Formats: sequence, C-alpha cells, structure tokens
Amino acid sequence: MKKILIVDDEQDIVESLKFVLEVSGYVCYTAFNGEDGLRLAKEIMPDLIILDVMMPKINGYKISRLLKYDNKYKDIPIIMVTARSQLEDKAIGEETGVNEYITKPFELDVIVKKVEEYLGKEN
Amino acid sequence: MTKFLLISEDSEKENIIKDVCSSDEVITSVDEVLIFDILKVEEPDIVIIDGDFKSIDLKPLCRKIKQFPVIVLMIMGETFHNKDITHNVNLFIKSPIDKNLLSATIDSSLKTRQTLLKMTKSNQELARSLYQLNVLYDTSSQLAGSLDKDKLLKIMTEGIEKSLNFELSCTLMFRSDREPVLLVNSLYKVSDRLLEALKLRAILSYKSLLSDPPFDIKIGNLKIEKTIKHNIQEYDFSVLRYDNMFAPIMLNDEFFGFTEIYREKPFTTEDATCFQTLVQQVTIPLKSASFTQELKATNRKLQKLERLKSEFISIVSHELRTPLTAIKNAMDIILSGKAGDMTENIQKFVTMGKRNAIRLTGIVNDLLDISKIEAGKMDFKFELTHIEPVIEVVKNNLAEVAREKELTIKYVAGDTAEVYADSNRIEQVLTNLVSNAIKFTPNAGEIEITSKIVNARDLQYDHCFEEDIKNLKGNYLQVCVEDHGIGIERKDLNHVFDKFAQIENSLSRQVGGSGLGLPIARQLMESHNGAIWCDSEINKGSRFYFVIPVANDKSNFNMIKKQLIQKARSSGNTVAIIKIKSTKTVIENLIREENLLNKTYMSNSLIEDDGMVASLSMVVVDGDKPSAEFLKKKIDSLTLQKKNVYGECDIMYSYEIEGDTHEKDSYSR
Repeated sequence: MKKILIVDDEQDIVESLKFVLEVSGYVCYTAFNGEDGLRLAKEIMPDLIILDVMMPKINGYKISRLLKYDNKYKDIPIIMVTARSQLEDKAIGEETGVNEYITKPFELDVIVKKVEEYLGKEN
Repeated sequence: MTKFLLISEDSEKENIIKDVCSSDEVITSVDEVLIFDILKVEEPDIVIIDGDFKSIDLKPLCRKIKQFPVIVLMIMGETFHNKDITHNVNLFIKSPIDKNLLSATIDSSLKTRQTLLKMTKSNQELARSLYQLNVLYDTSSQLAGSLDKDKLLKIMTEGIEKSLNFELSCTLMFRSDREPVLLVNSLYKVSDRLLEALKLRAILSYKSLLSDPPFDIKIGNLKIEKTIKHNIQEYDFSVLRYDNMFAPIMLNDEFFGFTEIYREKPFTTEDATCFQTLVQQVTIPLKSASFTQELKATNRKLQKLERLKSEFISIVSHELRTPLTAIKNAMDIILSGKAGDMTENIQKFVTMGKRNAIRLTGIVNDLLDISKIEAGKMDFKFELTHIEPVIEVVKNNLAEVAREKELTIKYVAGDTAEVYADSNRIEQVLTNLVSNAIKFTPNAGEIEITSKIVNARDLQYDHCFEEDIKNLKGNYLQVCVEDHGIGIERKDLNHVFDKFAQIENSLSRQVGGSGLGLPIARQLMESHNGAIWCDSEINKGSRFYFVIPVANDKSNFNMIKKQLIQKARSSGNTVAIIKIKSTKTVIENLIREENLLNKTYMSNSLIEDDGMVASLSMVVVDGDKPSAEFLKKKIDSLTLQKKNVYGECDIMYSYEIEGDTHEKDSYSR
C-alpha cells in the first residue's frame, strides 16, 4: 500500500483529502504544521506528499526545498496546494522542486487523478 | 550752443553781451508776454536781465522767470536799488560790464547747470528703477500667494504693465494640456486683422521656440482672450512697428508659454532687465501650480478609487451572502435528517461544509463592516447602557468553544458606570477579542475579562499607541481581555490593528480569520470616542484593552455631535454646530421652542459649562459650508427674539463649522 503524507494547517482540508485518498486505497498520514510535516516525511518515507504553502512555523516552500535537496528524499513527488495563485508563487514552487502546483479551491478528483499519475492506481 | 534771453532796452549793453556770446544765440525781448513764450518754446539756458530796465516791474517778473529751469543773471546798473528781488536771481554783475568777468561768470554757471541737469536726470532714472524694483517686489509677493495659472499670469502682466507702461501685450499659455490661449492686453481696441496677425506671430514664435513642439497650435485652435482698457481708439498694424520685447516663460526645459509686449516709446536696457526678471519670477509659481493641479487630479482619482473599492467590496459581499445562505440551508436540511438517513461519514462532511460556510459568512460580514465603516455608512444605535451584561453574553456564547480547548473564561467586574454605546457593536468587539484569546492560547488555561472605571491619565500603554490614546480625557470604562497564549512580538503590537495584518504575517496565521476583526474593532471604538490597544509578551500572553467614555453630559454631547457630523457627511451635507450657553430656564425654553419652530436640531441634554448651562444646536446645510456670515445671522435671529421674551439675559454663542476648525469663533452678546 502506497503511503501519502498530507501537510496543511487547515484541518478540514486535510480531512477531506485523507478521506478521498483512503477511499482510493492509499494510506494517509497527516500533519497540521510544517514542523510535524517535515519530521513525519523523514520518519515514514512517504511515496508522495501533498503540501500546503502558508503554514505556521515552517512553510511549504521550505519543506519542499529541504526534501528536494536531500538525496534521500529528493525522489518523493510533491504536490503543492495553495490559496495563492500569483505567478511568482508558482515560480517559487518550481524553483523549490515541487512536482505539481495546484491552487485552491481545487477539486478532490483532480488531486486523486494527479496522485494516481504518480503512484498508479491502487486496487 | 547756449541760448540767451536778454531783457533790456539798452542797445549798448545788448552789443556787449552779443560780443561776449558771439558763438551763441541771443534773443532780445522786452515784451512781457513774449518773454514767457520764448521761455516756453526756446528753452533758453540763461536769462540776462538789465537792472535798469524800467518798463516792467522786475520783482514779479523775476519771481515768474524763476519757475523755469534757467539761470537768471542780473546786470546791476547805477540806478538799481531793488534789494527785494535778489533771492530770485542767481547771478549779479555790475554795470558797466567787464567783458572778461561776464564771460567767466556765464561759463562757470553753465558748467554748474550742466552738472545739475545730469544729476537731475540720473535722479529721475534712479527713481524709475526704484519704482520698477518696487513693482518687482510687489509682483513677486503676489505671485507667491497664488497657485492658479490664470491668476499668476495676470499678476505678471499687471506687474509688467505697471513698470513698463506698454500699449499692448500678448501672452501664450495653456489652460490644460490641450488648450492654448493667447491673452491679449491692450490699451485700446484691437482691429480684427491685427488680432489675426498677433495670432500668426504667436504661432510662429511657438514653433521657432520649441524644436519639437509637444502640441500643434493652429489659427483654428488658438483661443483669444482680450482685455481692453479704453474703447476710444483702435490699434491696427502700426502697433507692430512699435518697440517690442519677447520672453519665453520656461523653467529648465519645461515650457509654459511666452509673453511679448509692444510700446511706442523705445525700451531701455533697464526695461529689458525688469521685463526678464518679471517673466522669470512667474515660472516657479507656475511650476508649483501645475504640480498642485496634478496633485488635485490624483487626489480626486484616489478618492474615486477608494469609493469604488468600498462599493465593490460592499456589492460583492452582498452577492456572496445569498449563495452562502443557500449552501448553509441545504446542509442544515441534510443534517436535520429530513432529507433521509445519513451515514456517519455523510454527517461528518456535511458538518464540515456547514462549519466552513459559517466561517465564510463571518469573513464576508467583516468585509462588509469594514467597507461600511470606511464609507461612513455604518449605522449605530447609541443609547445609555451598562456594559456588564454584554460581557456576560459574550462569555456565555464562547464558553463552549473555549471548553473544547480546555479553556475557561472568567469575568471579574469592577466598579461600573453607564456608557453611551451601541451594545451590538460592543458585543462584536468583545467577541472578537475573546475568540482571538481562545485561538491564540494553545491548550488549557484561563482567559480573564475585567472591567473597571479608569481616568484617561492613569492609562498604561506602549508608546506605539500614543496616537490612539493621547486625546482621551476624563473617565472611561475599561475592559481588558487577558490570555496566556502565544503572545505578540513588540514590533507587531500596533500592526495587529492593521487591515489584513494576519494574512501578511504568516507567523500568526496559525488560526484562520479574515484578518479584519481587530481593524474593525479599532474603527468601532473610534466611533464610540474610545480606544483599543494591547500589550503582550511572547509566549506569556496578551492583554487587549478597550475604553469607552463614561456617560456624562459632555461625552454625550460629543457623541451626538459625532453622529450628526457623520450622517451629514455621508449624505454630502455639512453641519455647523452652535453652542448656546445661558441660564437653565432660558436654555430649556429655547430648546422647546427651537425644536418646535425651526428645523434646527437642539440636543435635549444640558451640560454645565463654566457655571452656565449649555446646549448644542445643529444646523444642517445642504452642500457647501455655511459661511460665518450665515451663522452670525442665524445666531442673531435666535438671540434677538429671545431677548424680547426673556428681557436682558446673558446668552453666549459659539459656533464651529464641521471640517474647518479655522472658522471657529466665539460670539457673545
């Protein structure tokens, strides 16, 4: 079973993502701030990370940079979700090595499809 | 050549003088009328009078001659005894005439006269320069007082006219970027063909002056504005043959126009300097004027944008509320079970949806509030009230939310007093403060609300709140909300009251929200004539304070005043406030009558002021500010009637025109 880590300070968002991904057959881990997110990522070595940008303590860009510049974790695909849609935000996202950049509000189906693109369908 | 006028019948003397003045012109005359004609027309340099000449009385003759700028030389004969005339004569020579002496006397006096003439001339020139300098000074001080392009050029033209006395002047200027105007100032009427010629000349000068003219001036688009002094005569092409001077009005590379003047009498170099200086002087004020114009235009644009923004937020917020309500209703129906059974998961996610719809409604309401406040359209229901019940309500409303985080809310009430406030708005502020306290306290603990009466001078606050608090005076009811949460860094203390501060500051984004709660609270407190501020220590907790003036007559008055001003302002009107002071009976009667008879509003509450009782009266005026004259008349009409009714009594008036503290004045009778 593929492991997905969801990091977002918006509890309701995390919960809905977790629900649809679990229905699709993935195992989900969740974190509500950047610090926990980074720690969990290193601890459980997820197959994919869904990451929010604006978070207390450590923001999404920083987490992505820390993981992508580390050989051990650099191959983990990162899908970044954010309420910020400015082009420069997207540019920063690309620069920090995220694989996908999705703006809020997003449709859960889109996220599931993206996850399936990277991890293949479960079940 | 020197001219002589000889008054003598003695041919011997005449011969001697003609002999001495051989190279000069000597006119002899003995006729009184003729003598003065010669003096006027021929302007002789020296008049020689024979003292033995008896046909005319010499005494009045000498006095009259002395009025002309001539040297008077008297030949004193043996029979000459009239000592009275000596002071009207410059030189004397004895008869019989010594030719050498006469020649020397004439020479030396001519030299003196020439020097004198030179001095007079330079004196005149000096006086003229002084006058021009005065005009320059006068003009420059006038120029400094204006920022109106037209007026500036008018002042300049007047200055030039005063100092140079021209017959005609042409000034090219631009009203706005697209409107060239030729100002023609003329002593007499200007013929049509001369006007056309002047236009053409101006266009040619414009084109030759600027290598790359920013705007194409043609006969068709060049407007003429004439100022004619006298209509008795008309100028034609002959004016163009007059002496003329031309100067561009430019500052660095910026071109404002030019001016050209025509004068029959030729200009001197001094005139040219004066002209140049006058034109030079107008450039800097013109530059300021164009800056001011730009500034005003930008200001207008900004104000419009600000209004548009508020309107936009207001419209969007209203539009958002409708679908939001529909969403909430739909989810309420599902949750009620009336639409059918639901699984645990369905209930969980619909509850999530509802929670977020409510949250969004809160944000939309905040946006609507802030746009209303900014547009001055917030409705308040001020009344005399106690605040403690409001605190209890907020405490109970939020108790459940607090309990979820293992927090307790405690309220300690101190001494109390009535305040003049809108309870709903106070509840809004307090709800915001307490929910913030809950949000920013990580887990478990206590949130404490206290209320008490404080005097403004005993308030304690960080200096960054100086601006908010320094104007407070008297007694206030203070409410404090204290938490033991994450706290705020000192540098951010003031910024928490800025709009959208939370969104910009990711650190405090731990908990969602519109970021408008505290800015709204600050505005609401301002509307209450109160203040809101905080102090905090990182990781130890924060204390948020707000104060509302304790109700007394004076603070009530200020609130009434504020409300009326706000109302008038949002409807585009102006309020003038007349404060009336007298004895209690008089005031009470006044209020009764005024409110019945006239449409002025007089507040019913009275305040003690310097041993007298005072009441405020509002005159709402449509549109423009009322003039001081208008108010004085209004006051006169009020007081005169009253004096008739109450006899002599002391009634004092002062008035204040909203938005213009300069027109504050006291008026008593």
